[in-house]
Amino acid sequence: MRTFKAVKVGTNHFEVDLRGWVCPFPKYAVAGLMEKLPARGRLDLLVDCPSAPEDVPKVARELGCVGTEVEVLAPGEWRVAIRT
Amino acid sequence: MTAASLARRVRADLYQPVFRRAWPVWVGAVALALANVFMFSYARVLGVFPQMSMWGNWLYHLAGVKVDAPFLAYPRIPVLLDGHSMICFGLMLGAGISALAAEEFKLRRENWGSYLTALGGGALMGFGTVIMPPCNVGGFFSATMSLSLSGPLTVLGLLPGAWVGGLLLKRQTAQAMAEFSFETLDLGAPAVTRTRSRQPYVALVLALAMAAAAAVYARAGLTRCAGLLLFGALFGIIFQRSRLCFTSAFREIFISRNGTTMKWILLSIGIGTVGMALLKAKGYQPMSAVFPVGVHTVVGGFLFGVGMSIAGGCGVGILWRAAEGYVRAWVAILAGMVTAGGWMLIYHHHVGEGWLYGRPVSLGQTLGWFWGTVAVLGFLAAFYVFILWIEAGRHAHLQSR
Repeated sequence: MRTFKAVKVGTNHFEVDLRGWVCPFPKYAVAGLMEKLPARGRLDLLVDCPSAPEDVPKVARELGCVGTEVEVLAPGEWRVAIRT
Repeated sequence: MTAASLARRVRADLYQPVFRRAWPVWVGAVALALANVFMFSYARVLGVFPQMSMWGNWLYHLAGVKVDAPFLAYPRIPVLLDGHSMICFGLMLGAGISALAAEEFKLRRENWGSYLTALGGGALMGFGTVIMPPCNVGGFFSATMSLSLSGPLTVLGLLPGAWVGGLLLKRQTAQAMAEFSFETLDLGAPAVTRTRSRQPYVALVLALAMAAAAAVYARAGLTRCAGLLLFGALFGIIFQRSRLCFTSAFREIFISRNGTTMKWILLSIGIGTVGMALLKAKGYQPMSAVFPVGVHTVVGGFLFGVGMSIAGGCGVGILWRAAEGYVRAWVAILAGMVTAGGWMLIYHHHVGEGWLYGRPVSLGQTLGWFWGTVAVLGFLAAFYVFILWIEAGRHAHLQSR
């Protein structure tokens, strides 16, 4: 069974590495991850599916996050920050 | 104007909006309809799996297994001289050029379990394409706008199939999520940003190489190959930049009650239908992309729908994703080629012949081109209303999550 690689990078600030998880997995994972994220937390998702920088923030906003940011991490890789 | 300022203008007016920003889905949908009508007026409509089954049939032939290619219209001939195959090669080249120009190319590796899933998905698509026939884009998108009765009927199989495939993907995500907790995570350094790349230069070299290949074909008198290679590239760019994904369009209607992409695809089919009907009514290729109709349309559609969801793309989708560096897509292509290419070892008839298949029905020839067009537009409107009805439950769906 596949698992997510993740680290804590600060207080209530976490990074989950979804590189290697093709679409639609990042989009489907957002709901579960946001549910488990502590209140007023920040979640950075690392994704390499080119649809994810569009899809993931859309789903996160629908689920009531405070804000999202997308930044290019490397060619074909993005960091999507979600604040709750 | 100096060369430097011209380069800056080209970069700002052309390169940035076309290759550096994602296109809205509706732009992709409209471009796709127009490109399909233009390509039809040149030679044929978009569809990819029958020629991929011919590639698979070559593998049997090379291994010493004597079996015919499954589609009569796609006999086994040298792949580099096959105009149909040029669409696939062009599509991959166009998507690859587009991904490199946007600096989005990456060799995307996964684990063996994922490759096994892609293998199963590709195999299901291979069977789906010979049973339906043909694939999702050829059998639903192009067939519907070509006024084939089979086009609307494929939805009865593709839609539940994509839903089942989507449920399997959701289950996989839920399993990975079950043991996950933020509370037990160790402290670590965030990923490092490294944005420098030479990908746009590689894109330029690849584009020049493709233009040279098209020129060689044209000079050798194979203008059809040259034209279809370039049309394929145009489709590749449209799909890669707009992320117009047919698999997602079918899957998300039930999975997330979001039919946005499918609604744009319906508009695209509507535009294309008018163009195709005008050409066909004048006697131009009236039976082009008109496929057999029967129970097999729905059964094949279902198999194809499950397959495309778990493989990560339909026939067209795995081609453009393969060019973006998805190893999973290459696995799915190979599996689809092998299963479809050996179809006659199982069925012993060509696709469209024998007890399994019904007869092709053209709505234009049966109802007349005007009423045939009205019937297709009526189907598109009904599908649109159905999606609105499904989407109406979206708020409750989000609340329940």
